[in-house]
Amino acid sequence: MVKSLSARNIVKHYGGVVALSDGNLDVHTGEVVALIGANGSGKSTMSKVINGVVVLDRGQLLLDDKPVNFSSPQAAKNMGIATVFQELSLIPQMTVAENIWLTREPMTAFGTVNRNAINEKTEQLLSLFRGTYKTELRPSDTVGSLPPDEKQLIEILKAISFDPWMVILDEATASLDSRQVQRLFELIGDWKKAEKAIVFISHRMEEIFRIADKFSVLRNGKTVGAGAMKDINDKELVKLMIEKESVFSFSRACSTEEKKDKPVCLEVKDLKTDSLHGVSFRVREGELVGIGGLRGQGQRDLLLSLFGDIPYTGVMSIFGSESKLRHPREAMKQGLALIPGDRAREGLLYIRSILENLQLPSWAQYGFPLKIGKAKRDANMAAESLNLKMAGLTEPVSSLSGGNAQKVVLGKWLMRKPRLLLLDDPTKGVDVGTKAEFYALLTQLCNEGKTILFYSSDDEELIGLCDRVLVLYDGTIRTELSGISLTKENLIAASLGATNEGAI
Amino acid sequence: MKRRLTWDFLMVRYPAFFPLILMILSIAINLFLQPKMFDRETLNSNMRVFLPLILLAVGQAIVLLGGGIDISVGGVVSIVNTILATRVGLDGSPEKMWQFVMISLLVGALAGAINGFFIAYLRLQPIITTYATSFLYAGLALFILPNPGGGIPSNIANLYRTSTPLGLPLAFYVIAILLLIWFYVSSTRYGKYLFAVGGKATAAYETAVPVTRMQFSIYVISGFMAALAGIAITMLSGSGNAEIGGQMTLNSITAVVIGGNAFSGGIGGVAGPVMGAMTLNLIQNIISFAHINTWWETLAKALIIVLALAVPGIINLIRRRRA
Repeated sequence: MVKSLSARNIVKHYGGVVALSDGNLDVHTGEVVALIGANGSGKSTMSKVINGVVVLDRGQLLLDDKPVNFSSPQAAKNMGIATVFQELSLIPQMTVAENIWLTREPMTAFGTVNRNAINEKTEQLLSLFRGTYKTELRPSDTVGSLPPDEKQLIEILKAISFDPWMVILDEATASLDSRQVQRLFELIGDWKKAEKAIVFISHRMEEIFRIADKFSVLRNGKTVGAGAMKDINDKELVKLMIEKESVFSFSRACSTEEKKDKPVCLEVKDLKTDSLHGVSFRVREGELVGIGGLRGQGQRDLLLSLFGDIPYTGVMSIFGSESKLRHPREAMKQGLALIPGDRAREGLLYIRSILENLQLPSWAQYGFPLKIGKAKRDANMAAESLNLKMAGLTEPVSSLSGGNAQKVVLGKWLMRKPRLLLLDDPTKGVDVGTKAEFYALLTQLCNEGKTILFYSSDDEELIGLCDRVLVLYDGTIRTELSGISLTKENLIAASLGATNEGAI
Repeated sequence: MKRRLTWDFLMVRYPAFFPLILMILSIAINLFLQPKMFDRETLNSNMRVFLPLILLAVGQAIVLLGGGIDISVGGVVSIVNTILATRVGLDGSPEKMWQFVMISLLVGALAGAINGFFIAYLRLQPIITTYATSFLYAGLALFILPNPGGGIPSNIANLYRTSTPLGLPLAFYVIAILLLIWFYVSSTRYGKYLFAVGGKATAAYETAVPVTRMQFSIYVISGFMAALAGIAITMLSGSGNAEIGGQMTLNSITAVVIGGNAFSGGIGGVAGPVMGAMTLNLIQNIISFAHINTWWETLAKALIIVLALAVPGIINLIRRRRA
């Protein structure tokens, strides 16, 4: 019997942010559909609409062509839809067996969980991946103590344990090694034969072409293409994922060539943290170097460790002098500034005034008691040069729009006149006009001789602004693109870990 | 396969291990100061004093396991105490007493349901919600009985004070029943849901666990246990006092924390907190037998709770330093 699930014209907002504006997906039993899209294109939201974790704002879900409504994960589960969550839906304090069978435990006549049955059934499931475990995995092991790949396998087993007809695999292969991926793909083949439907979300091109029968591409919350995998190649897929025409006219900062004889501003050798596995690069004074790649490939760790915010190993030299930064304070003394990615949490004190926010890192310069008059004049000058639209310095930052709030974050660091700026996705959630101002400002700062390291989840920005982009993949620099090799196709191909490395 | 016996492993697998050592230690010191401790009379007079806090700690343990906290339990104890003392009276009949015992249990569950409604359905913070309702409940108790007085008939109170079936204190039977119920409940589906919700509520939700209903239920249980504690303490004292529950809240939380349950939820059980409550009471005994000023008691208790909170943090700090 062929079953099917269709999503039609799905719309989903989170607050003011549109995650999906026109999402469509068709899945039938016996096939693997790859859901593809760049960062923030709405893949995860799409899967969460189908499995009932989020409730859609508009649009329709059709099960066997009949409208259905999933108001909770329970509802979707009852319809036989299972999900392997990207963030894993496991309880770390509970055992492997308890996690897999949670809400579906086999019971004894006394109403207690049948421990023997649960362990036996878990052993059966565990045998599906036998030989790929690094530890002697037992049903009674606590999930929190397992390595990431085994947690991922438990999450997969948990999803298929109730014999669903449809399985959504959201980035299920990200933490698996090649043997485990191989085994998973064999299993997916079995499930296809057993008339199950599989939605496969992955960033790895090679895997998509290995396993998927059909594809559906999301771009900025819209489904822009769907079809059979055999009718398309990776180049065409990448093209579909990319926005066609650009809204902005960028002026690239002066090219690397011109900066050749400038001194090296930052040199990093074999930088390692929990998610960085040895990163080395050099940046010359006045360069605007981009950091690219998919979200969560170590970009955040790279910027935070450069700012002394998280512990790291490796060697870092700033203008030739080797320094080991243990605290952001030490980084600030060296003339570094970090514009963090989450401005609500890390960048601003929302309920405090614009003046206080602008001066927060600089108060020490204003003596004791504070020279408030001078602080106000300086803050006003900074606000003016940033073209900050505000009612007054004493207004709280919460009264500003997203773009203007982000200007305050930038302004508070520019007031310290840093030599090296680290930017963590500064244009996220910023309106178009402010974005354009930002781009102009970054170029101007570079021309003034400031050095900028710029991570953006928006590939277009990187290509438009930077002359050199380091593409991170799985905690290492996968490729360095510069000059004419810096194209959108190459950047995306490198982000996805494509084998041609985006060479010209 | 190598399996290192780490502190974390020990705490997750055997959460009652640490409180057991603490309890044995405090029993030893107590025995040294009070050699007749295990005489039938002394044992019973100790255990009947310990029981109210033990009951309260069991309720608090369930709440902490489910990822919440209940600061209003002391207020519920006071309400139950004042209801019994004013409605039954010193010359009330046994029928009247049992009738109001039932009403007290209902009142406790209702007070818990109010907390649960705010926290589970309106999604307010547990600590703030129950802090606010603690004043509500304490105020209600004062409204029912503004000045200490009233009471229950002494023959009924003596049932609680002097019953020693088979020569063992009544409290032992209550504890045994509580532990049996817990061992049953913890292996039912409800028990699994409790650990799941306390461990990681989002993951539990994504797995289709009824998270809201679970959160609601733990406060009802806590209110019910607080009412039981209120009944026990009323039978112990025989009289009414609206302030009687006031300081029991901090004690119940201390008992659960030294009982090995994690403040963040999802780790622990009920046996540990029962031992934690015993330990707290034993410390109280030790202080009075060692002729130490009673004001040491608060300080000692506060030190224990601060230490219990700090130890995991200190261990983590040392680990970070080494890395």
